[in-house]
Amino acid sequence: MDVREGPSDAEVVARVLGGDREAFGLIVRRYESGLLRFATRVLGGRDAAADAVAESLVRAYRHLASCRDPTRLRTWLYRIVANRCKSHLARRATGDVSLDDVPPIADPADNEAALERVQQLAVVEQALAMLSPEKREAFVLKHVEGMSYQEMAAVTGERIPTLKMRVHRAREALLKVLEERT
Amino acid sequence: MNPIDPRIHQVLDGEIPREALPQDLRRVVERLESAAALLAAAPEGRSVAERVLAVLRRPARSPVRRLAQWLTAPHPVTLRIRPVWSLALAATLVLLMLLPEERSVPVLGEHEGIAQFVARFPGAHSVQVVGSFNDWRTGTIPLEDRDGDGVWRAVVVLPAGAHEYMFVVDDERWVPDYSANRFVEDDFGRENSVLIVRPVKG
Repeated sequence: MDVREGPSDAEVVARVLGGDREAFGLIVRRYESGLLRFATRVLGGRDAAADAVAESLVRAYRHLASCRDPTRLRTWLYRIVANRCKSHLARRATGDVSLDDVPPIADPADNEAALERVQQLAVVEQALAMLSPEKREAFVLKHVEGMSYQEMAAVTGERIPTLKMRVHRAREALLKVLEERT
Repeated sequence: MNPIDPRIHQVLDGEIPREALPQDLRRVVERLESAAALLAAAPEGRSVAERVLAVLRRPARSPVRRLAQWLTAPHPVTLRIRPVWSLALAATLVLLMLLPEERSVPVLGEHEGIAQFVARFPGAHSVQVVGSFNDWRTGTIPLEDRDGDGVWRAVVVLPAGAHEYMFVVDDERWVPDYSANRFVEDDFGRENSVLIVRPVKG
């Protein structure tokens, strides 16, 4: 079943706040895929991303009453995860991401096209990892999560011109690396 | 870093149509789009749903257990009470002692203290305080404005230590206590006020 079907976010939030704890599972399943993808791209590792997303969702549940506009639940959740990722990155020596624990996405025994895709993805991931955390976050929100600049501003708390500049710089840096390596 | 043709950004930002670009610039756009598509299509890892729900289903720790954990866990505690608050605390204690016996007077444990919340919200219909001491749940600690002057008050017994808190006005506005001495930023981009409760019998 598509988790986007069914009750609206506002209805689910009302159910959870009314005491139906299990209804929060619907929110988790509805958004965890995107949140994990976002955190993985920002942090560069799946284990760290899973930790950040799980911690964020528990915090979201506990502070759900403070979500002022449940119709914008998605950006509210992304904001919590984005802040969690910043905390994780701050605990590291630098904002650089580690690709060590990213497993290959396809079995090498698969066909040639899949293997080439894995290699292409590795190049893109390395290029992304070379960006500053702010530019990486902006690029991922814009082009991987498909957000508008307005939604990105709600997630990051930054002004739209700042975000545009970061996305533009990220595109330029990515393109440069991709041209060098392919 | 080499700046790229600004029209590429305009297309990617949806400001001009792709058809407005010459062929060579369209290829650059497609290259960036396919890189993003690769990142979006890669599997994102195992679900965390069960892990999250298992935490939510866990019974909440009792205040006694949380207090015990706070007391046994090593952490630095700095208590800085302004003289005016000491006087306010003393005055509150005297007031509590003068209350008639039939009124419900809180009995202080060894490691508990009295916290007084005062906030000015003229025109508000209800004010509550939520924080780390009540799991940020509304409906547990209402403030009162008996004389209708817009100043809301509550006096409660809390475990000694540092507590983060906010006021909830009319069940919808979450507002920090701007008169607090300390603030910390939470994960939601807001500032929580911080209250240090001193053990009365400490």
